[in-house]
Amino acid sequence: MLCEQCKKREATVRYVEVVNGVTTEHNLCGVCASQLDIGSFSAVLEKEISLASLLSGLLGIQDTEKKDGRFADVVCPNCGTTYETFVESSRFGCRDCYSVFGPLFGDNIRHLQGSERHVGKRPDYVIREAVEPAEEPLMPKLSVEEQIRLLQARIKDAIRREDYEEAAMLRDEIRSLKEENES
Amino acid sequence: MTKWYEVPESVDSSVIYSKVRLVRNWAEYPFPGKMTKEQSLELTARILGGAQDLNDKNHNKYLYSYLHQMSDLEKAVLIERKVLNLDVLKKKDAGGLILSEDERVSITINGEDHVRIQVLEKGLKLDECYKAADLMDDYIGKSIQYAFDEKYGYLTAFPTNMGTGLRASVIVHLPMLSRKKNFNGLVADMGRFGITVRGVYGEGSENYGSLYRVSNQKTLGQTEKDILDLVSKAATELALQEHRIRREALKHHAIMCADEAYKSYGVLKYARRLSKNDAMEYLSKMLSGISTGILEVKEPCSVHELILGVQPANLLSQADRPLSKEEVDVVRADYLRDHIPEIR
Ligand SMILES: [Zn+2]
Ligand SMILES: [Zn+2]
Repeated sequence: MLCEQCKKREATVRYVEVVNGVTTEHNLCGVCASQLDIGSFSAVLEKEISLASLLSGLLGIQDTEKKDGRFADVVCPNCGTTYETFVESSRFGCRDCYSVFGPLFGDNIRHLQGSERHVGKRPDYVIREAVEPAEEPLMPKLSVEEQIRLLQARIKDAIRREDYEEAAMLRDEIRSLKEENES
Repeated sequence: MTKWYEVPESVDSSVIYSKVRLVRNWAEYPFPGKMTKEQSLELTARILGGAQDLNDKNHNKYLYSYLHQMSDLEKAVLIERKVLNLDVLKKKDAGGLILSEDERVSITINGEDHVRIQVLEKGLKLDECYKAADLMDDYIGKSIQYAFDEKYGYLTAFPTNMGTGLRASVIVHLPMLSRKKNFNGLVADMGRFGITVRGVYGEGSENYGSLYRVSNQKTLGQTEKDILDLVSKAATELALQEHRIRREALKHHAIMCADEAYKSYGVLKYARRLSKNDAMEYLSKMLSGISTGILEVKEPCSVHELILGVQPANLLSQADRPLSKEEVDVVRADYLRDHIPEIR
């Protein structure tokens, strides 16, 4: 199918636009798709414009290399990213991926970045205890379902402690939350 | 509080604004995309909860929100205002946003990377932007251990960000320069020096409004200062070239230049229906007119604020009911009539 906009290139992106509840389907080429007016804000790019494969190209990973499977067995032990998914998405899954896949792409990284070694800022490794999630007044509210889940856990805890007064209070809280939500 | 984009452009400069972005990841968690739903929510809540005593030189209040609780329209408005990246629209997992009241400073949590610090500032102010981002980075880095490697620097989800995690951008207005035949060649030359020039609102002739983003291509093997200097120099060079051509045009085609500026002003002031692309083109011509002194505004004004104002999600968010595409064009013209500056 040809791109409906430029009518020149092959359409590779199917794009569904929902404007005020009306769904229309569009078939565009990558070039036209990347210029989409995102005004139709609920636009969903069903098939992502392939930044990933673009990166694979930049990284100089050839299809033959993908196929001959030289590194096919390489898997990051920490996050499970395989060589294949790394090549496909050009995306690291975790910090350990760098030591797993980095050495395989030394030249490509130099090609992409013009260098292979960081010379900029370094964090001062003052590692304090990680911050606990605080329930400060500024914190945005959790969703009603999330709040109810937390309250239910607290009811269980109150019943275990045989504090039925608190359990009743919490139950009222859940009820009013639900009522508020429905109105 | 005045939003950063409400600050007037300085007359006689085609630099609109500067932007610095730093990305970081928390060593404790896999990168976004490899985290479980629970890990995503936990990481987001921990960073939102931990960063409650933010402060800056402008005494901003900071607003904290969960991205997954925002509507698509709310997100689209923030995307148009350059606070959020397009990728948050597709994201299903938990995410967060810390946003200063003036929208100058933002921290996006669990986007493409765990932490994305961004600072925006009117004019050519990359150094100021970086200084603020750097402080924010130190502040967060005190509480969480970043994924960092002696060789690869800050570890990021995409190999295009590794090292400094720094993307410095300057947005310049190049209506004349971009019309030159050899503009594409110039852009390609910039590429050889590690500079990317891209249309802000589209590619090639479809970049309505003629705003271009000048930014660094590489993030590894250069210090932050090198990157900031390189991008500043490139943007300054492009802005100078633009000015040279504008001066020449003024000298040889004075009537044409004046006519273009006044016609555009007239359309913006009196039209009853305007498409986005038309609005962008006329605003661009009005901006040139103000910048070259043809149009003398009574009060300093921010044309960039108008450019953000005519974007569709913003107009939809201001309306009290859903609008059809045609109605948006009407509302856009209304908006412009209300906001267009007075001229002498
Ligand atoms: Zn096309
Ligand atoms: Zn990994």
